[in-house]
Amino acid sequence: MNKLLLLVPFILVACQSREDITRQQYVVEGMNLYATHCANCHQINGSGLKDLYPALAKTDVWQRINANQMTCIIKVGQKDSIRVNGKKYQAYMPGNATLQALDIAEIVTYLRDEWGPEKSLYSLDSARLALKNCQ
Amino acid sequence: MILLGCSEKRTLPYLGPKTVGTQGDTVFHQIPNFKFLNQDSVWVTQKDVENKIYVADFFFTTCPTICPKMKTQLLRIYERYAQNESIRILSHTIDPTFDQPAILRDYANKLNISAPRWHLLTGEKKDIYGIGQKSYMVTAQEDKAEEGGFLHSGAFILVDKNRHVRGIYDGTKEEEVNHLMEDIEILLKE
Repeated sequence: MNKLLLLVPFILVACQSREDITRQQYVVEGMNLYATHCANCHQINGSGLKDLYPALAKTDVWQRINANQMTCIIKVGQKDSIRVNGKKYQAYMPGNATLQALDIAEIVTYLRDEWGPEKSLYSLDSARLALKNCQ
Repeated sequence: MILLGCSEKRTLPYLGPKTVGTQGDTVFHQIPNFKFLNQDSVWVTQKDVENKIYVADFFFTTCPTICPKMKTQLLRIYERYAQNESIRILSHTIDPTFDQPAILRDYANKLNISAPRWHLLTGEKKDIYGIGQKSYMVTAQEDKAEEGGFLHSGAFILVDKNRHVRGIYDGTKEEEVNHLMEDIEILLKE
């Protein structure tokens, strides 16, 4: 009996940290993918480049664009102009056709961890579902 | 002895093919005369870089790959030498059909840069590719297989006051551009 009681809190802790470990793995992978596929324009620190390319850090896009929409923008690009922090950006963003659902789930998890309001895992299943519904 | 060695001044090489002049002297490779239109629809020629040190590069405004990185690095040079009238930047578009002066002007405005300190140049495709390959010694050509449709190197070419090429750097790497700026300091003392 005594042994069992001791085990209960231990299991709880282990379960919690497993999800967190996945999230952290996504963040690390996402960081590398971001550096390769996104940072050319949006910069490593997410500042964007003057009035050419919008920032990802400290922006209002997080209030208007959810993770599913972000997933589609990364995959198929952004053809229309986009308003960020009250400024209109016209340079179209090319899509990243080679990135797979897992890559994008990792990138979005990283983006949220770094600059978004909620630091939570964006799961592979969510990314898969979002990609099916991209326009 | 050691102290003397350390204080010896570093000099920059002369890059490109050398020829022997009529006096038996060495003639260094030199950027020939040129004439391109800039973002203000003004002709820019070798006269605009007379007695100036300049950095040249090749890009295009719709480039999805390395150009933004190069522009980020060129901005560092531009901002660092904001008060220095001896320094110029010449960015040549390799997509002159699309990158007309009006497009270049819009791009310059968005980067918050202006001529004459930073010229964005357009012209005849054969002239731009020609000067890029033969004179600046970099890859600049159309290639449908490449992302964005053009193949070009991310090189920055450092040219001295007599239009000699003195250094070629990877314009996509911050540390390479640090090196370039150190070399500009050497040329400024020449």
